[in-house]
Amino acid sequence: MSVPHERRATLRSALVRCALAAAIFAGLSLVFFLALGRDPVPLFVALWDGSFGSGFALSETLVKLSPVLLCALATALPARLGLVSVGAEGQLVAGSIAGTACVLATGDRAGAVTLPLMLLAGAFGGAAYAALAALLRVGWRVNETISTLLLDYLPPLLVEFLVYGPWKNPDSLGWPATVSFPDAARFDTYFDTRVHAGPAIGVLLILLALLLTARTRSGLALGLLRDSPLLAERAGLSFGTWVFVMMALGGAAAGIAGSVEVSVIEGRLQPGIGAGAGYSGFLVAFLARGHLGRLLPLGLLVAGLAAAGDNLQLSADLPSAVVYVLQGLLFIAALIASHRRTTSSGTELG
Amino acid sequence: MAAWELTDAWQGVLLGLVPAAFRSATPLLWALLGETLGQRAGVVNLGSEGQMLVGAASAFAVTAHTGDAWLGLAAGALAGLALSLGHALLCLRFGANQFASGIAIWMIGFGVSSLLGASLVGQSIAGFSTFSATELGRRLPLLGWVTPTIALSWLATLAAGFFVYRTRPGLALRAAGESRRGAEAAGLRVNRIRTLAIACGGSFCGVGGAALSIDYAQTWAEGMSQGRGLVAVGLVIVARYDPWLALPTALTFGAAEALVLRLQSAGSDASAHLLHMLPYAVSLVVLIATCLGPSARASAPAELRAVLDR
Repeated sequence: MSVPHERRATLRSALVRCALAAAIFAGLSLVFFLALGRDPVPLFVALWDGSFGSGFALSETLVKLSPVLLCALATALPARLGLVSVGAEGQLVAGSIAGTACVLATGDRAGAVTLPLMLLAGAFGGAAYAALAALLRVGWRVNETISTLLLDYLPPLLVEFLVYGPWKNPDSLGWPATVSFPDAARFDTYFDTRVHAGPAIGVLLILLALLLTARTRSGLALGLLRDSPLLAERAGLSFGTWVFVMMALGGAAAGIAGSVEVSVIEGRLQPGIGAGAGYSGFLVAFLARGHLGRLLPLGLLVAGLAAAGDNLQLSADLPSAVVYVLQGLLFIAALIASHRRTTSSGTELG
Repeated sequence: MAAWELTDAWQGVLLGLVPAAFRSATPLLWALLGETLGQRAGVVNLGSEGQMLVGAASAFAVTAHTGDAWLGLAAGALAGLALSLGHALLCLRFGANQFASGIAIWMIGFGVSSLLGASLVGQSIAGFSTFSATELGRRLPLLGWVTPTIALSWLATLAAGFFVYRTRPGLALRAAGESRRGAEAAGLRVNRIRTLAIACGGSFCGVGGAALSIDYAQTWAEGMSQGRGLVAVGLVIVARYDPWLALPTALTFGAAEALVLRLQSAGSDASAHLLHMLPYAVSLVVLIATCLGPSARASAPAELRAVLDR
C-alpha cells in the first residue's frame, strides 16, 4: 500500500531520474554529433524541428507513435510476470501478414466491417505468434528472451516469400508487393496530414491494460505471480496459463500495430514492414519501468526521435541509421540514470 | 541422360556441402566462442549482434582502404572489442539489466555500422582467398577450400577450450560465472574477470563480423549479420557453454545455410525466401531439444541461471 507521501517521493525520484537521463542523453548525442564531424547545434535544432517543433513534425511523430506504443505493450504486458519479451518486431510482422490475408480474402465485399475484421485478424496473428514463444517457455523451458529474438527473424522472410510469390501483384512489374488495399481497408487520415487512428487504438489498449493490471482480480493475480510465485501456486494460480495470456495479449497489440501499418503507410504489404518499431517499443517499455501510464509520454519521446531521424535525413543529409544510434544512446542514458536507485532484484521491466 | 545429369548435379550438391557448411558456419563460430567466454563468466551479451556488425563494417572499410585483409581483420576485432566495453561498463559499473544493456549496444552497433558502411555499399575488395593457390594448398589439396578466418576459427576453438578447462585464468573465469561471492572470497576480482571476458568475447564477435564481410561474402550490406549474433546467444545453450562443442553446434547452422544455398543453385523449386528460414528454424529446434533435456540447466553457470530463469 503506498501512502501519498511515498507516492510523491517515488514521483520525485522518477523526475530526478528523467532529468538525469535527459542530461546524459544530451551529452552522449553531443559526443556522437561531434564524432560525425558535424556542427552539433543545427543538428539539435533539426532534432527538435523534426519531432515536436511544428504542426507537421508533431503529425509525423504521431504517425510513428502508433506502432511504437502498441509494441511497447507487447513487452510491458509479459513484463508483468517478470518475462523479458523482445518479440514485438516478429509479432508486428505476423500481424501484418494476418491482416493482409484477411483483406485479400474479403476484398471490398465486407464494406464497413473490413477494417475491424483486418484489425481482428492482425491481433490474432500477433497473438498466435507470441503464443509460440509462450509454448516454448512453458512447455519446454526455453528462455523467452532468446526465443523471441530468434522468432523475430522468421516473419519478415515469410513476407518476402508471399510478396515475391503467391501474393505478388501481377501488375506491379517486378516490384514485390501485394495489390493495393481497397478503400474500405484503408484508415482515414486527418488534418491533411498522415495522422490516423492508430495512436488512439494504442491509448485505448493501454487503458484496457491498466484495468487488467489494476487492483482487479487479474491485477492481484499478476502481482502475486510475479512477486511470490510459490504463494501464487498455493493459491491455485497457474503461472503457465498466465504466461500464455500475457504473451498473447501483448502479441495481439503488436499484431494490431502490424495490420494498422500495412493499411496506413503503403496500403499494401511489402518487404520492410516493421522497420525496427518492435525494438523501439521494447525501449519504451523499459523506460517506463513497469508503469503502463508512462508508456504514452515515453512513447511520444521515442516516436519523436524516430520522426526527427527522418528530418535529419532530409535537412542534414544524415543516413537514416542515425535514429538507431540515438535510440541506443537514449537507452544507455536511461540505464545509467537508473543506476542510483537500482536494487538489483528482479527485472526492472516489471 | 537427363537422370544422369540430375544425379550429377546432386553429387555436386553433396560434395560441395562440407566446405560450404564450414564457410557459412565460421562467422557464427567466432560469435559463439565469444558469447561462450562471456557467459562462462556470468554475463549474457545480446550486443554480440552489434559487435559483429561493427566488426564487419570496420573490417570491410579498412580492407577497402588499405587493400590488406589482415589489417581489416584486426580492425574488425578492435571495433567489436570497443563496442563490447560499453556493455561491460553498463552491466558491471552501472548494474544495468544484461538484456537491456545488450539490446542498447545492439542498436548502437547496428546504427554505427550502417553509418560506417553507407559509402561502402556496392564496393568490391580483395578480401581473403582460399589456400588452394598457396604452397600449403598444393600440398593438401583436400583442404584447398580453407580460408584464413576458417583456419583461425579452428585454432580459436582449440585455444578457447584449452583456456577455459586447462588454465588457471580459465578456472578463475568459470569461478566468476559460478558464484560471485565464492570467487570474491577466493580473492578473485570478479568485475575485472568479467570485463576481460566480455572484451575478449566482443573482439571474437568482431572477427566473426570480419569473417562475414571480408571473407565469406566479400561485400558490405546493412545489417548483414542477419541475427547471427543473436543465434549465437541461443546456441551457447545448445553447446552447453563448452568451447569444444561450439564447432559442431555452429556447423548445424552452417550446414542448414549451405544446404539452402546449394538447393537454390541446383534449381530447387522451393522458394528461396522460405528456404532462408531454415537456419533459424534449425537453431530454434536444436535449442528446444537441448532445453528439453535435464542436463541443459545443470550445465549453465550458476550466476547465469539468475539471469536466464527468473
